[in-house]
Amino acid sequence: MNAMTQRLGAIALLAPAVLIALFAFLVPLARLVGLSFSAKAGPFVAYAQLLGDDVYARVFANTFVIAVVVTVVALLIAFPIAFALTRLSRASRRIVFACVLLPLWISVLVRTFSWMLLLERNGPINRFIVATGLSDQPLSILFNQAAVLIGMVHVLLPYAVLPIYAAIVRIEPALLRASEGLGASPATTFRRVLFPLSLTGVATAATFTFLLALGFFVTPALLGGARSITLSMLIDGFVTDRLDWPLAAAASVLLLVAALGVVAVASRFVPVGAIARVHR
Amino acid sequence: MSTVQFAGISKSFGPVHALHPTDLEIPQGQFLTLLGPSGSGKTTLLNICAGYLAPSAGRVVVGGRDITSLPPRQRNMGMVFQNYALFPHMTVGENVAYGLTVRKLSRDEIARRVAEVLRMTQLEGYGERAIRELSGGQQQRVALARAIVIQPDILLMDEPLGALDRQLRKEVQFEIRSLHKARPRTTLYVTHDQEEALVMSDRIAVMRAGRVVQLGSGADIYEQPADTFVARFLGESNLLEGTVRTLADGRATLDVPGFSRSLEGRAAGGLRAGAKASALLRPESVRAQTGGLQARVGERVYLGELIAVKLTLDSGHELWSRRHAAEWSGRDVVEIGWDASAVSILPDASVQS
Amino acid sequence: MTGRVLLNAFVALVAAFLVLPILAIVPAAFSAQSFIRLPPDTWSVRWWHTFFADASWRVTLLASLEVAALTTSISIVAGTAAALGIARSGPRARAFFTALFLGPVVTPAIVLAVALYSMARATGLVGTMTALVLAHTTLALPFVVLNVGVSLDGLDRRLLLAAAGLGADDFRIFRTVTLPLIAPGVVGGAVFAFVTSFDEVVLSIFLAGPTVKTLPVRIWEEIRLAYTPVVAVGATVMLLLALGAASVSRVLSRK
Repeated sequence: MNAMTQRLGAIALLAPAVLIALFAFLVPLARLVGLSFSAKAGPFVAYAQLLGDDVYARVFANTFVIAVVVTVVALLIAFPIAFALTRLSRASRRIVFACVLLPLWISVLVRTFSWMLLLERNGPINRFIVATGLSDQPLSILFNQAAVLIGMVHVLLPYAVLPIYAAIVRIEPALLRASEGLGASPATTFRRVLFPLSLTGVATAATFTFLLALGFFVTPALLGGARSITLSMLIDGFVTDRLDWPLAAAASVLLLVAALGVVAVASRFVPVGAIARVHR
Repeated sequence: MSTVQFAGISKSFGPVHALHPTDLEIPQGQFLTLLGPSGSGKTTLLNICAGYLAPSAGRVVVGGRDITSLPPRQRNMGMVFQNYALFPHMTVGENVAYGLTVRKLSRDEIARRVAEVLRMTQLEGYGERAIRELSGGQQQRVALARAIVIQPDILLMDEPLGALDRQLRKEVQFEIRSLHKARPRTTLYVTHDQEEALVMSDRIAVMRAGRVVQLGSGADIYEQPADTFVARFLGESNLLEGTVRTLADGRATLDVPGFSRSLEGRAAGGLRAGAKASALLRPESVRAQTGGLQARVGERVYLGELIAVKLTLDSGHELWSRRHAAEWSGRDVVEIGWDASAVSILPDASVQS
Repeated sequence: MTGRVLLNAFVALVAAFLVLPILAIVPAAFSAQSFIRLPPDTWSVRWWHTFFADASWRVTLLASLEVAALTTSISIVAGTAAALGIARSGPRARAFFTALFLGPVVTPAIVLAVALYSMARATGLVGTMTALVLAHTTLALPFVVLNVGVSLDGLDRRLLLAAAGLGADDFRIFRTVTLPLIAPGVVGGAVFAFVTSFDEVVLSIFLAGPTVKTLPVRIWEEIRLAYTPVVAVGATVMLLLALGAASVSRVLSRK
């Protein structure tokens, strides 16, 4: 096969997927961007509305804060888990791995719904709290910020664990032995050898978790109620309730730009392929 | 620098005996090599010395101190790993300085010692380089520098030259040897390469199946191997199997089927009259001798400075000879012989578990 | 070492945290009352009857399966071809196409949902099977491309050269050497594609219509309208399918 037929072959092979990506991805997104400038009152009116209004500013802030908190909490839990995974026996590791990977197969809707069941006023957690006398009234732990945080950490934790695990497991065991042999205590070995070498994994985990958290819809919508509104919920409201397409499009573009920004910043520290590889 | 003593050290992994109870002493400043095939227990013994493996029984005593229960970081040993184990996120200088920073020496002292050891290992000026920029040979030297800069009680090396090509390996062998001669350090070296062992060591411990089979200088082991395994492992050998006829005063005679006269030679330990044994003839001692045994010349293998020739005797035995090319020029049927002083009668190496 | 014990306890705790809450939906599906109670005061399977007897629920399950099946079929054909095309391309093209196909992964779902919904309205495709399948395919495609791509990377090029040297033409090489060796990647990708489609919520919410609706969409609506145990049944059905797919994937990767 010469270079020419190779080229044609590659083009033919790529064609169907490219067409799908074009018409079901690029073109709709491009249209959306165009829509964001199509407000009757003027091309930039939608953006001005979004960026000028205090209410919306609070939604942006809320979304950002949730994403940051969820990412930090997830990383704090994920790192010890990933580290422990590399040290466990084969049997234990398989079990823990299964626990980490299994949730990824289950729809975010199902996972979020399970938290609704657990956190509601008459749910098992509240009934336990009242029964043991920790409080004489059921606590309102659903439909607020806390519930959203718990739900999102739960859903995103596996995405945080996997890249960190992948990075730690790649570290040559001889390096840790060398550090030990040179006189370093386990704490020093961790601080000066293991942790620095795991940082790319941490960066990948942080990027991916933050990215997903920023755009999350189902979990904040179901667990946050009216008390914790994220940008995605705002967009949904613009489309479903207000039928204000320019506004919805503008808000979507802002969210998209934020997501791309995160990827752009992260790609300086982390190979983008790694982010994709996390998603399996 | 200290003496090292292994007293009754053994190691088992379940039913597998990686190391049978072993006693071994390394005097101060001596370069001792553990030589043996894989599974011989040499790496196990090294790791027990370093503290990465706990012995099933026995004690390790360094400089009079029993260190058996000490973790590696308290043993003050310098270890060079097989794949160097250099910290990829640190420069050459930082790698070498690592053990010193852990010992909390002053900045100046560290800088001074690092500079000195880099000079010693011909890495002067490499302090700021990244590890991945270095060749295999350079990385090996950094690993060595890192181990000796901490002035360890004992230097441990686990087949450090395995990843280098042949020419480089020979160069580094001589470098390590010179370094040792310039400043003798108690060193425990592990390898399966007999040539390496001969070049570098003061003494060699040949190991097999978890036991030390022979301990001595390179010359001792080469010229007077303890059994057929050692004879085969170190250097080329011709072994003729037979039965011991007489045994007296350190000399023995061996009846070999097909030989009209019994072979006479130095007796190794462990021989018994009437038992099976083998006669060792090193190929370099098999030479042309008028009036000697008749042999047909088979293969000739050109080895550069030597030529290896396969000689088949009338009895059917095959002997290899390694001499200069002139020895067997062109003839197909020759008469051969050897010095009686070059013959050793050795017990057969038993199959041990 | 207490450090070790603490760490192991922490790991056990987190592992439980990851898995146990999800299981809460199962007992809820067996509640006898018409409101959700966990654990149920009285147990019954009546809501399971409802789920499978009620046309509006049954139809959504079937619709989900149909959409997933169609999505998977299209994804593995287009995705495998794309992966093969990428493998033949130079480094720049490779980077470009990989970025293109991975785009839906880094795009927030709500953004894509709104974009597709707007487009669907313009083309009159809202509430159609076509719209749903196309949307799900966009999400599933990256998984197939990635999975098959990994398989291809692991393929020893010299095998192809050997086959060619023995006289095989390109199509035969593909059929008898390449395809069997990347089959695990393709099948793995198919499983991911199916589950991705079946589990998909956000895009489906916007693109579904009164006649064509997937199970997650029905559940989503029902949670907000009438919070009865049948929702838990639907969720449990989804859970069971996910577990099934995970097991299949496990078995496949063992081979």
